[in-house]
Amino acid sequence: MEETGKRRLVIALAFVVGLVYFFVCATPLPRELGMEPVWSKKIDVASGELPAMPGYAGKGAGTVHSFRLGSVFGYFDEGGKDIVSATVPFNVAVSDDAYIVYDREPASLTIKAPDGRVAARISEVGYPFFGGGRTFVMHPGQTSVAEIGKDGRAIWSRDFSSIVTAFDARPDLALFGLMDGRLVGIAPDGTVLIDFAPGGSRIEGIYGCAVSPDGLMAAAICGLDKQRLVVLEKRSAAYRVAWHRWLESDFRRPVSMSFTEDGAHLLYESPSGLGIYGTGSRTETSVSSKALSGIGLSSPARGIILAVEGSGPQKNLLCASAGGKRLFSLPFSGEASFASISADAVFLGASSADGSARLLRLDFKEE
Amino acid sequence: MADTRASARIAHRAVLALGMAAVAAALCAFEWPLEGGQPSLYFGSADEGRFATSMTFSSDDGLVKASDDGELAFVFDSGMTSKLPSTIGSYIVVEHPRGMAGVYSGMAPGSSSAYLRSIKKGSILGRVGASGMAKGPSLGFALYDRAAGRWVNPLLLLPPLADKTPPVIRNAVLVKDGKRLPLGETKSLPQGQYSIAVDVTDPLEAPGNPGASAPYYLRLLIDGTKVAELSFDVVTAKDGKFLVGADGPRGFEGCYAEDGRIVLASRFFSRGRTVIQVLARDYAGNERQASWALLVE
Repeated sequence: MEETGKRRLVIALAFVVGLVYFFVCATPLPRELGMEPVWSKKIDVASGELPAMPGYAGKGAGTVHSFRLGSVFGYFDEGGKDIVSATVPFNVAVSDDAYIVYDREPASLTIKAPDGRVAARISEVGYPFFGGGRTFVMHPGQTSVAEIGKDGRAIWSRDFSSIVTAFDARPDLALFGLMDGRLVGIAPDGTVLIDFAPGGSRIEGIYGCAVSPDGLMAAAICGLDKQRLVVLEKRSAAYRVAWHRWLESDFRRPVSMSFTEDGAHLLYESPSGLGIYGTGSRTETSVSSKALSGIGLSSPARGIILAVEGSGPQKNLLCASAGGKRLFSLPFSGEASFASISADAVFLGASSADGSARLLRLDFKEE
Repeated sequence: MADTRASARIAHRAVLALGMAAVAAALCAFEWPLEGGQPSLYFGSADEGRFATSMTFSSDDGLVKASDDGELAFVFDSGMTSKLPSTIGSYIVVEHPRGMAGVYSGMAPGSSSAYLRSIKKGSILGRVGASGMAKGPSLGFALYDRAAGRWVNPLLLLPPLADKTPPVIRNAVLVKDGKRLPLGETKSLPQGQYSIAVDVTDPLEAPGNPGASAPYYLRLLIDGTKVAELSFDVVTAKDGKFLVGADGPRGFEGCYAEDGRIVLASRFFSRGRTVIQVLARDYAGNERQASWALLVE
């Protein structure tokens, strides 16, 4: 009788624990993330100048994106209705809202909008580049940079102590890495916000740098023997070292790195693949990959990171979680490749050796 | 007592000269990075509104050689993925001894390797190209002194040039309110503030180069008194602007007039007879002097 009572009590307790677990602790199974193709279009390359992009609705409208595939560049709309493209004679600086085609020895530089309208003529001599919605010109000698205003005139111009080897920019901060190991951050009005030499290595140098979207964090891969990753954070008025780590890498060329669009992670190229630094947790993880050819795509809404891997014609679009888990990879072939991301979709481009090129839209799908 | 001080001064100078000679001898370990290359742009010359921090050698073809032993510090090839364009084209940075970083630029894309590590003097770094904004096939060669944080004129550290021809002082002008008064043609002028600018070139200048060469050293004397001197020995960045010269450094606007002449000084000329004298010295030590007499009214 006593044993039967004990058994009943155990069964009742197990039932209660089960109920509590079911209502309190249990979480739904994670839905699997995948991608499905929405459209795929061949890129017809126009001879001569880039045709006007029909659907361009102005700066910041967000439905028209730029692309660059080897010697071809142009614009497409998210719906895949319109694609315009042209061959690059020597080089082009291209963003979603402007482009500048230029020769090896440019006599003049003209900023054009995707609809073909001339936005400004640049008064500086050099090679143009965009970053964070800002326009810059690298002067002859690779030691001097000017930021260009809407009227095409220089807002500021600066001679750096040595050759500029790395760059990244956001609206509030343009970051330049120098051969002598200095990191110089400049505000849109030309004020120097960062002038810092990480030091500590046998040979100093900045191999890659990145700025967070809000401009409050800056990072660099610097030095040789040993190489290290340094993260700066803006505290009160000044940027100070918030974190650093010695790396196993020995890169002696430009290194890719960028912050995710929500600023929660820093992505950087590492010998084993893709390094991921959590800016909030100050922890690191990585995704192994054989050869990264492009990093820096992230979807904060979905908490994922995309990277293109493969140096030959066979490539993969690698998708990983911000926690470093490889979710899936999508093989594709192309001598040159292009990838960009929006909230719901990934746009992938590839060009073949025979010059043909395609653009593809893939939408995220949860199953 | 005065004799003792003078002797001490002479001894001090002798020690200093010996020290400098020893340093120069050690630094002369550098070799020319290109055989048969013709200098087409000198260090410190005006290059699109800025001081050239490198020396450019024109050459249709050729192999780029390491000036000294060293180690690869950085390589950029035009084909690499980068957010940054390179106006000096494909280039490599070699860490040479004594804290000197050598920058070899404008090389043929794909001709240098990122897998180079230890580099011996004379070893092949790549091929001459026409990459970046180089005006034709050429090699840019620059030396950066890491300890001092400045660019050093390569001609001071490379083996001496076989040059026995002094620089040519083409002309000199006095400038006031944008009006140029050529010295030699102008015999008299009203008193006032004038800037003195000279057009000096060196016969080593390569064919086809319109005359952007800079002599190594310039000195201006007025009535026998040294008023200004300018050396194209180092270029340093200060407050975001390049300055040329270790002694009395000058910014670009204070060094080059709009017409390309080198501005030596600005000075008030009072009434009376005055003699302006300019001395120009090239990298090999050849000198040329010119003087002009004026009557200031």
